[in-house]
Amino acid sequence: MTDAVPTPRTYLPGEWYAVLGPSLVLALPPDRRDLAAAAWAAVDAGAGAEELLDLVLASGLRDLAGLALVSTDGDRTRVLVRGQAVCLLVAGGEETVADGRGLTTWAEVGVDGVEAVSLELGPGSGGEPLLAGDALVRASRVLWPAESVPGPASGPAAPPSYAAGRLPGSTDPASEPSSLLSSPAPAVAVAAGSAPAPEPVLDPDPEPEPDTIDQAVPSVDDPVIAPVDEPGDRDEDALETAPFAGMPAAPAVPPVPEPWTPPAPSAPEPWSPGADDHDGRTQDGSWDVSEFQRRPHGIPGQPEGPSVTSRPVAVLQLSSGDSVEVDRVVILGRAPEARRFSATEQPRLVTVPSPQQEISSTHLEVRPGTGADHGSAVVTDLGSTNGTVLVQPGLPAESLKPGIPVQLLPGAVIDLGDGLSITVARP
Amino acid sequence: MRQVELHHGAATDVGLVREVNEDAVLAAPPVFVVADGMGGHEGGDVASAIVVEEFAAMAEGGYDPARATEVVARTLEACRDRIEAYAEQQRAAGVGPFHAGTTAVVALVAEHEGQPAWLLANMGDSRAYRLHGGRLHQVSVDHSVVQELVETGVITADAAAVHPERHVITRALGGTERSEADYFLLPLGSVERLVLCSDGISGMIDDEEMQGILDSVPDPRDAADALVAAALEAGGRDNATVVVVDVVGSAETSYDAERQRLSLQQKLGALP
Repeated sequence: MTDAVPTPRTYLPGEWYAVLGPSLVLALPPDRRDLAAAAWAAVDAGAGAEELLDLVLASGLRDLAGLALVSTDGDRTRVLVRGQAVCLLVAGGEETVADGRGLTTWAEVGVDGVEAVSLELGPGSGGEPLLAGDALVRASRVLWPAESVPGPASGPAAPPSYAAGRLPGSTDPASEPSSLLSSPAPAVAVAAGSAPAPEPVLDPDPEPEPDTIDQAVPSVDDPVIAPVDEPGDRDEDALETAPFAGMPAAPAVPPVPEPWTPPAPSAPEPWSPGADDHDGRTQDGSWDVSEFQRRPHGIPGQPEGPSVTSRPVAVLQLSSGDSVEVDRVVILGRAPEARRFSATEQPRLVTVPSPQQEISSTHLEVRPGTGADHGSAVVTDLGSTNGTVLVQPGLPAESLKPGIPVQLLPGAVIDLGDGLSITVARP
Repeated sequence: MRQVELHHGAATDVGLVREVNEDAVLAAPPVFVVADGMGGHEGGDVASAIVVEEFAAMAEGGYDPARATEVVARTLEACRDRIEAYAEQQRAAGVGPFHAGTTAVVALVAEHEGQPAWLLANMGDSRAYRLHGGRLHQVSVDHSVVQELVETGVITADAAAVHPERHVITRALGGTERSEADYFLLPLGSVERLVLCSDGISGMIDDEEMQGILDSVPDPRDAADALVAAALEAGGRDNATVVVVDVVGSAETSYDAERQRLSLQQKLGALP
């Protein structure tokens, strides 16, 4: 029934399992991973919708809280939904909804000439719409054709300004380009002109606003969704219309069997320029900002403690004559700089003389210790070129390993080279 | 502290795709800011404009260079309060789920242990670079999802450049999260040329191209224009904004810097 070309669909990451097969989509709730795996294996082996339904229902309905099966056979699209799943079908401008919520068994609908399908599955985990061919994915929503992540002009009121983009050779009256191509006209003309292989139109997409998306698909509530312009769905069973933005008009009867290059995962840059828009995607988006709170700065692996202490834990006596209290992070070097500190924890930068330039510009750090080192100072070589030698009382001299903090004993001597040493004294 | 003589150039362009320039830029020596606003319903351009206004007022009023970090933190706080107040007002007016936010990258001359230094602060993905010895180095660290992924070793820096979420930022001024800025303190002498830019520049041209321009165009004004032109040339998919500042020396008087400041004020017409 279908060729080997995978059917690209767009999905939003989520919890449900969605098995995307050549002419069907099966979705299962998060607790049925076993079933999803079995179903994927069956689909991958070529199972059709009937076999899949048998497989899924084999263990009964009681343990199957939800289910969605959308299959296409010729012109007919059949939908079966149970539980949380809701499926929206668009055919000839009319919408049909199959809603599984609140039903004892399931809801089933069949629609001819479906142009676009949106399958709502449950809470999203956030993130961008992604493209998938035949695959097992975790999704909150699946849409196809892939273009049906609606673009800015997907509303019925869109001006028919791109009628010129229609393929001259189009034989299918249903393939009216819907006047919804959002790409600049010349790009569309190019895509339309090269009929055998309408490549994805990746020209700059004029500013798709998230708000527009919300209008276009009422159920979208994730502000981070950006439109994805991708190559047209050329699955034989899918309709040929380009109801949404960015889809090159394609001939209903392809002149050659392989008119289209599938957007393989290896596609170098599958994201449309529209996705470059970071407007509206603030930290209030789907990412949990707490994951990205400030990490301990300075020394990786060392617990962050108060880097400013009320009393100094040590005094550094420089051989150049200066002395520096360690009541906060102290960074020493030929021309030291401090990176990535917070407003309340500004380090003290101490410039030391280095006539031979042997000392690195940012050479080492001494800071009040935390945890087991509480009450003393710890020294860390910050990746200096010529290294640092530490002599602790009663211990052999050691070379500091860059980035590894060492607790300082009173009386320790730190040698930075170029004749400069630091003696660690009690405050 | 000695007077530091700075020459600067600033340029901004709406780009080839956007309709509104939500970037804002301030060049009021020795204070420089680039802010990249975001949010629909004009939230973005208002938010970035607020940042510029607040820092312009700070520069105008003068600040204690020895306490520059505090001053910047306070000014950022004032920006955030105003942005939130504005968003609140819009929501109250029934604009809907309104939010306004902006990135900010700030550079100003500070004093540390009696020496002049650049104090930089950033939130979001607007960047600070320095050119030294003909080499360009990124100083700021983006507060973005991909940067976090790079730092945790999940993806490489090269993968980050094309990652689909590369524009999702994790810290911003505005919104409910009160995230903090990162600060950087660089000795003045370690920076020959300082660059602040929005991701409409850094996202469109790579560091190598940026370095080529910055290293070959001597006048900072020409360099700023050239960077924006290069970003447009590369596609101009976002608002492109850049400030280029050269430290030309320390002097007791700084005729050129003062003249430039006055000229800027006349152009902007906004400063009293």
